[in-house]
Amino acid sequence: MKPIMSRLIAAGACWAALCTWASVSAAPSPVITDNRVIPDERRMAVLEAKLASLRKQVSLLEDAKAIERLQQAYGYYLSAGLGNELAELFANDPTVSIEIGGRGVYVGKERIRAFLTREGEGLKPGELREAPMMQGVVHVAPDGKTAKGRWRVLMMAGMHGEDGRWIEGPYENEYVKEDGVWKFSKVHWYATVIGSYDEGWHRKPLPMPGPLEELPPDRPPSEQYQPYPAFYVPPFHYLHPVTRRPVAWE
Amino acid sequence: MKISTLRTLVLLGGLCAGAAAAQAPQSPPVSAERIAAAQARIDEIRARARHLDAVNELRNLQAIYGYYFDKALWDEVVDLFTENGTMELGTNGVYVGKARIREYLYSLTGGKPGLRHGELNNHFQLSPVITVAPDGKTAKARWRALIQTGVYGEGSGGNWGAGTYENEYVREDGVWKISKLHFYTRFYAPYEGGWTRASPDSALRYGKSPVRPDRPPSVAYRPYPDPFVAPFHFDNPVTSGYVFGAGVVPPAGNVPRASGRDAPRATTVAELEAQVRALELEVERLQAVDEIEHLESAYGYYVDKSMQDAIAAMFTENATLEILGRGVFLGRDRIYEYMRRLGAPQEGALFNHMQLQPVVHVAPDGNTAQVRSRLFVMYGLLGRNAQWGEGVYENVFVKEHGVWKYKNLHGFQTYYTTYEDGWAKRASPMFSPFAGYPPDLPQSVDYDPYPAVFVPPFHYRHPVTGR
Repeated sequence: MKPIMSRLIAAGACWAALCTWASVSAAPSPVITDNRVIPDERRMAVLEAKLASLRKQVSLLEDAKAIERLQQAYGYYLSAGLGNELAELFANDPTVSIEIGGRGVYVGKERIRAFLTREGEGLKPGELREAPMMQGVVHVAPDGKTAKGRWRVLMMAGMHGEDGRWIEGPYENEYVKEDGVWKFSKVHWYATVIGSYDEGWHRKPLPMPGPLEELPPDRPPSEQYQPYPAFYVPPFHYLHPVTRRPVAWE
Repeated sequence: MKISTLRTLVLLGGLCAGAAAAQAPQSPPVSAERIAAAQARIDEIRARARHLDAVNELRNLQAIYGYYFDKALWDEVVDLFTENGTMELGTNGVYVGKARIREYLYSLTGGKPGLRHGELNNHFQLSPVITVAPDGKTAKARWRALIQTGVYGEGSGGNWGAGTYENEYVREDGVWKISKLHFYTRFYAPYEGGWTRASPDSALRYGKSPVRPDRPPSVAYRPYPDPFVAPFHFDNPVTSGYVFGAGVVPPAGNVPRASGRDAPRATTVAELEAQVRALELEVERLQAVDEIEHLESAYGYYVDKSMQDAIAAMFTENATLEILGRGVFLGRDRIYEYMRRLGAPQEGALFNHMQLQPVVHVAPDGNTAQVRSRLFVMYGLLGRNAQWGEGVYENVFVKEHGVWKYKNLHGFQTYYTTYEDGWAKRASPMFSPFAGYPPDLPQSVDYDPYPAVFVPPFHYRHPVTGR
């Protein structure tokens, strides 16, 4: 009889504790002050765990900001024709790569440098290649060590006195944190449209230049596609932000 | 019978347990050292969160500057500056102090603020690199402008322009202001012919005013076709070992609160808990800014490719959508049908819908947000037609079960023009409702697009004056 009684009392105690907890959590400001409900020791442990989580979340936000800066620096250096500065933005890992339109893939920092400085450093008089980086979608991996980003460039280009160019398309880039600093591990730009300024893209869309004969790439282009007037959807690195499922052209 | 007995027992048990707990010794208090360590951790995270928030605020500030500048709202532009702030646009020289900046800006629009009928003054604010000092009191930023100007009816079709800002900011009484604005013109060219055909002197027209500047240009340069590059306020982020927020340390002493009063150091677990809850909300609101911006960007990429399912799935079930003069569509299903009316992607069609220059304000509770942003359209139909289009969004977002979605999308039309002409030669009248697919409600705000002057209503007050 006695064990049963004590068991019932224990059950009642649990139930009472649950009631207290429920009424506390339903209150508008759920400040738990009753040391009898959760001991301070336990509350402190929860609080410390929350702080560890918050610290990690803030780190990921900081990572995204550093990556945005890296991508914008890329755009400013590209606009200024600073090939060496661009090459320095890549990680030291030998697998880093760059692929611009149909040029093929250059692998490793020094090959990337050779590709980016093939026409020398800086802009030539009369040369324009304004390349604003816009519309970023950056995802940092939960461990904060790698990231991916989609960006758009709308480039205004040309040589003075010649026909200008409107060039547009997305990047799908990858980033890596090396020695605490964010760097590019992969730059991949897809040409959506390359249009003549004088005629317009609808009358004179230009083809995507292929691999350079004088500086052949280390690998051929990774995807087969053509810019406008062809239709191509460069793959997204991310799932749909609401459905969390892949998307496809219907 | 049995149930009532049980209930009595349980009630009794509850009472007993309560009595037992009251009699039980209190759990040992948490040591002061452990509380101080948690407080230090809170201070560190809060300082880092505030540093992130400063970057977001500065991004909003410069984007807001752009939307005012678009419409020559000069008084609003001037009020973004500090008393001794300076402005330097192009190769025209430096104006010092709010009064002089005002005088200069007024001179650009015939002596008074605002655009006249037929004037366009679009200044897209793009590509920020924002550097906030570790103490959070000053900042520098590099931005770009992409410019479309013109007077309707002029033969050249308008002007394209582009260039780079290197600006400085200070925080006065908790409010960020512009202390130095310097725009370096890269090119400024008639629409007809564009930058490569323009005379080298063409870019010198930008920012030109009969009002004498207080100082000559701070940097001597010539824009395109010269290969001049605006000096950078920042070093190469990789070779300089850039780490965001490096050097940010929590302020010593008590913690400044948003209200201006200091929060005392916590001495109890309950006080720590209150601070952590506030900090959780702060971080959640920072995450919201990034998530909403990504949602808008992702929307643009889907519209580019006419991915109607993906677009509709970004809206809440009872969302509204209103674009140009097509009226208001209620609910996700109607929005889906709307998107289908825009047609399927096909060879030869270009449908670029760039999403730019967001001004994001997340509500204090972190559950809703309002965003002003810019649409830039690049349209094409092979061999037949190409267009530029530009407009402004005022969108509302809501967090449903932890996921941000569009609640209201409202796109205001500024101009759509045929590629051959340019906005200053030909601008489309307001887009009317789809034939055979009437809206649920008529257009909510009555206005005429360019060449008329219309300022889409702002969801926010002036960030400095609060008006």
